[in-house]
Amino acid sequence: MTTTSAKTAAPAVVSFENVTKDYGQVRAVDGLTLTLRPGETVALLGPNGAGKSSTLDLLLGLRPPDSGSVRLFGTTPREAIAAGRVGAMLQSGGLMEGVTVRELVTLGCALHPKAHPVDEVLARAGISGIADRKIGKLSGGQEQRVRFALATAGSNDLIVLDEPTTGMDVTARQAFWATMREQADQGRTVLFATHYLEEADAIADRVLVLDRGRLLADGSAAEIKARAGARRISFDLTEPYDEERLRALPHLTRLDVRGNTVRLQSRDADATVHALYGLGLYPRNLEVAGLGLEQAFVALTEAGADPGAGTGTGTEGTGAGGTGTDGAGTDAVAARTEAEEAAL
Amino acid sequence: MNTLVKLELVRALRNKKYLFFTVIYPAALFLMIGGTQNGDVKVYGTQLGLPAFYMVAMASFGALTAVLVGQSEQIAKEREKGWVRQLRLTALPGHGYVLGKIASAALLSLPSIVVVFGVAAGVKGVRLEAWQWAALTGAIWAGSLVFAALGVALGYLVSGDTARPVVMIVYFGLSILGGLWMPTTVYPDWLQRIAEWLPTHAYAGLGQAIELGGSPHAKDVLLLAGYFLVFAGGAAWLYRKDTLKA
Repeated sequence: MTTTSAKTAAPAVVSFENVTKDYGQVRAVDGLTLTLRPGETVALLGPNGAGKSSTLDLLLGLRPPDSGSVRLFGTTPREAIAAGRVGAMLQSGGLMEGVTVRELVTLGCALHPKAHPVDEVLARAGISGIADRKIGKLSGGQEQRVRFALATAGSNDLIVLDEPTTGMDVTARQAFWATMREQADQGRTVLFATHYLEEADAIADRVLVLDRGRLLADGSAAEIKARAGARRISFDLTEPYDEERLRALPHLTRLDVRGNTVRLQSRDADATVHALYGLGLYPRNLEVAGLGLEQAFVALTEAGADPGAGTGTGTEGTGAGGTGTDGAGTDAVAARTEAEEAAL
Repeated sequence: MNTLVKLELVRALRNKKYLFFTVIYPAALFLMIGGTQNGDVKVYGTQLGLPAFYMVAMASFGALTAVLVGQSEQIAKEREKGWVRQLRLTALPGHGYVLGKIASAALLSLPSIVVVFGVAAGVKGVRLEAWQWAALTGAIWAGSLVFAALGVALGYLVSGDTARPVVMIVYFGLSILGGLWMPTTVYPDWLQRIAEWLPTHAYAGLGQAIELGGSPHAKDVLLLAGYFLVFAGGAAWLYRKDTLKA
């Protein structure tokens, strides 16, 4: 188990092969093929309606795929769960009411084939202090931690988390990820869906970007950023200029002009800036900075949103503004990221 | 599985409303309308005295309450809130949740039967042979499984919001029309002919036959078995349908 040869010989933790799932007219998962290997910490990203929750439902065997196959550890999801190899925490997972936190966690441990001691589970989830409180009288963040306790009631090989830190404050979120890192360090595979991109950036060693049920990108956070255009460049131009000539700059992946302010994204910032001076322009307040995962994500999902495809009409996400192709929406996202970066 | 049943029991026993309606209420109702043993008044159309008639009716009513009312509303709500989904992420087999509900309902219906019997023997002076007490307890207890299956089916059929009114209509309809609250012999002819085919009528019939010193009528037993197949089949079908979209 500790040797590399054993790792390569072991079947994939998760294996999707050409999996498709429709809900009525909507194709939630569209020909998804992916493999998770032991010990990986994987973030699943995507705008609302991208098919993240559907993918996790299929992965956990809560719904059958329309076509293709889903295997966990070389068996069906149900068999893997029954063997105690999978712990999962879903947003849609409710809790039994009228019982205490300790009673519910005791049940979780009793149902797990490879259970940890109850007190240990409570302590790890940070809920020892509220163990005697009734479910139903907990805050959203406390409920999340009870769900986490249920997901880690035994020694699982795979932990699946759907938006795990929703409802948690900053301190709780940090404590949560510290616990999660411990789990990953013990060789467990961790798959989490999140909309906090900084979490994916900081924790995952592999990032999957999902949009309209398809896998848009698969790689490390750094690779995803590089793929989307690694650098952003911004400057002011006070003299008159020709926008078409800006658009023709080398290695450009994105151009946004607002009055005198020009914002670019480039795969090779040095070459782009060099060419900019070559145009005879004098950019003022020139800034070159790395692209956050969030902007990379927006750039990727916008590029993936092919207006001619038509298959995505009617999906929940298209109208939500998350995938909106208008520059204003993107700017708002970018501004939020900057504010978050400044806060860190 | 055992832990789940235990937790369901603990939770129900903690719920005072539930205890009142399943254990206290049938016994109290029996005390009020059960009449007295002396006077030799027979219930119209039967060979039974008032206390004996109402003892079986109220024990059946209590058992019906325990397995039907609490369960279906809880199943409907827990489906909606995602607890059923959460359990599917554990090693508990898919049908474990439903079996747990039926097992705990069956255990909870026992006190309501025993308390009514205790009040009947202690306060109302109902006297029966030892085998009759045992057979009555067994028959009423076993018969409650029919309604436990109905409770599960209803729980998967209705949503959390509509559960209560729907269950209440079914519950009172079956109790009153089936003759648990008053003998169906007081109903007009046409209503009697309908009531005869209700599961609750056959259910009360089991106990009344035993009280008269005989074994339950074949018609009642067959009718209950038929209803059990229909309710359990319906529950299984609805459960499977729910699993596919849960």
